[in-house]
Amino acid sequence: MAKVHEITVWARGVIMDKEGRDVINIFAEAAKMEGKHVQAFDNYEDLPDRVLVTVRKYVRLSDEEIEHKYVYGNDQPEVVVVIEATIVKGIDVLLGMKKGGTLIINTNRSIDSMLKFIPNANLLATIATVDADGITGVRTIDFSGSEGGVDTSGIGKGIAAPIVGAMAKVTGMIKKENLAKVVSDVSGMERGYKEVKIKKLG
Amino acid sequence: MAKELIMTGCRAAAEGAKAAEVEVICSFPIRPYTAIMMELAKMVADGELNAEFIHGEGEHAQLSVVLGAAASGARAYTGSSGVGVTYAMEIYSPMAGGRYPAQMAIADRTLDPPGDFGSEHTDAMCTRDQGWLLGWADSPQEVYDNTLINYRVGEDHRVMLPQMVCQEGYFVSHIPDKVILGDQSQVKKFLPPYRPIGPLSTTKPVSHGPQIRPDQGAPMDAMRAAVFLDVPKVIEEATADFNRIFGRNYDPFVDQYKLADAEIAFFVMGAHANTCRKAVDRLRKQGVKAGMARLRWVRPWPTHQLANALGHVKAIGVVETSTSYGGAMRGGNLIHELRASLYDLDQRPLVTSFMAGLGGETIWPADFDYMAKVLTEMVKEKKTKRYVYWIGM
Repeated sequence: MAKVHEITVWARGVIMDKEGRDVINIFAEAAKMEGKHVQAFDNYEDLPDRVLVTVRKYVRLSDEEIEHKYVYGNDQPEVVVVIEATIVKGIDVLLGMKKGGTLIINTNRSIDSMLKFIPNANLLATIATVDADGITGVRTIDFSGSEGGVDTSGIGKGIAAPIVGAMAKVTGMIKKENLAKVVSDVSGMERGYKEVKIKKLG
Repeated sequence: MAKELIMTGCRAAAEGAKAAEVEVICSFPIRPYTAIMMELAKMVADGELNAEFIHGEGEHAQLSVVLGAAASGARAYTGSSGVGVTYAMEIYSPMAGGRYPAQMAIADRTLDPPGDFGSEHTDAMCTRDQGWLLGWADSPQEVYDNTLINYRVGEDHRVMLPQMVCQEGYFVSHIPDKVILGDQSQVKKFLPPYRPIGPLSTTKPVSHGPQIRPDQGAPMDAMRAAVFLDVPKVIEEATADFNRIFGRNYDPFVDQYKLADAEIAFFVMGAHANTCRKAVDRLRKQGVKAGMARLRWVRPWPTHQLANALGHVKAIGVVETSTSYGGAMRGGNLIHELRASLYDLDQRPLVTSFMAGLGGETIWPADFDYMAKVLTEMVKEKKTKRYVYWIGM
């Protein structure tokens, strides 16, 4: 069985539900262009229609068909992306991660100040921060497209753009050029790629 | 031309209804099935589907509307989830008893309390004794296929029964997968137009559903039960035709995976089968002779087919995703009927149940490893130590 790379994205209900979904969809779309088998889906049981609740979104990438595609959740995320930084204060976002993982947080705070909130940072090989709100302006697009509605607003107009740029740089899993074909705000994505701060941990 | 697309189970159900050219649709929102109606509403608005789209004021109304539509000769479609399914409870028996072959799509969901979005078979399983055809799909592809197969079986004049085409909420309804949509010429070849029997009509007035006397009750019930004796044959014919026309390979009743030489077997329903198959492969590599049987129809219950498929197995674990509080086996529903199906065999397999996936919990690959361990111990000790094991607690 080929290795399946699991990426879990944490966002908040309603206010950045679409941003979280954009991140997974953009990432999966770009990976698909590189011939990967991909999966991107929301966790609906998180009740994403409730304002500010923590919601999870999942991406899976693999060189071969994903065997556990009907398992509704990533139990061993290799990369965790936190779109709203205060989530780390209350939730063990690294749950299930094996040693050597990656954490990317959208914040303008320093990496060291964020590490204080990650009690199990020993699981991490890499931590990175990107100030997505600073790059695009506080721009979260709110759209309830979750139940079959059609999202014609395009993907990657808001803070999702710099976040996926940062993800490409930090993880090396996808090429920036392919992201550019998918996101609406290409310059925001480029800035995320360039401005992400990365720290390698022991 | 048939085409392959990536879509969720909800979209696949809507595509199935569209392919069946449903004429009356009645909606009411409840998660997670809602997306089916959103897709259909868009198809109607875009002129891709020529159907009357009615928004009901609740699930009871939804079912009443499609009952009336089917009675007047329209191919009708509705759906629901969770407590929506139970809110419509009153209409299920009249609809089956009146022999109205409308279809209801279910993306299942737990019942309250306390309100949970997760998938559970409990909602539609509550309706299993109301006289409907009932079964679960294991993928968006099978949702599409079952939508067509169910209309064909339900509208057959030997059957004339409403159908519940179920898929798991979220696991299937909201996870996109590959779906091959049939060409409309294939659909036409497989599914003839709906021909109602004695429909309501302004030019030729008839009465439907009149009051009966108590002494007419037993004959009527006997007739309703007898219909189900004919249904399996119709399902076999329809499945064979479907496989031939659409190039699929469905077993009409029981999807069997590595069962031929299996010593232990999982008995499952729905998309958990996908995880289960991989678990079976893994167990086989470790030298455990595991297999899987997946139920495609709860009604009609395939008694003999199950006895044939599972009779030789030493121990069976029923993966229950619904509850039967206080029931004979203290766990779920499926084990009761599976045990009954095996009762007349000379050599009966040992059967226990695993309460798993309740409240929408994922059944993880490791859970199947644990279940296999329990089953292997049962084989070794030649006895069923417990009727029920609760998983994931």
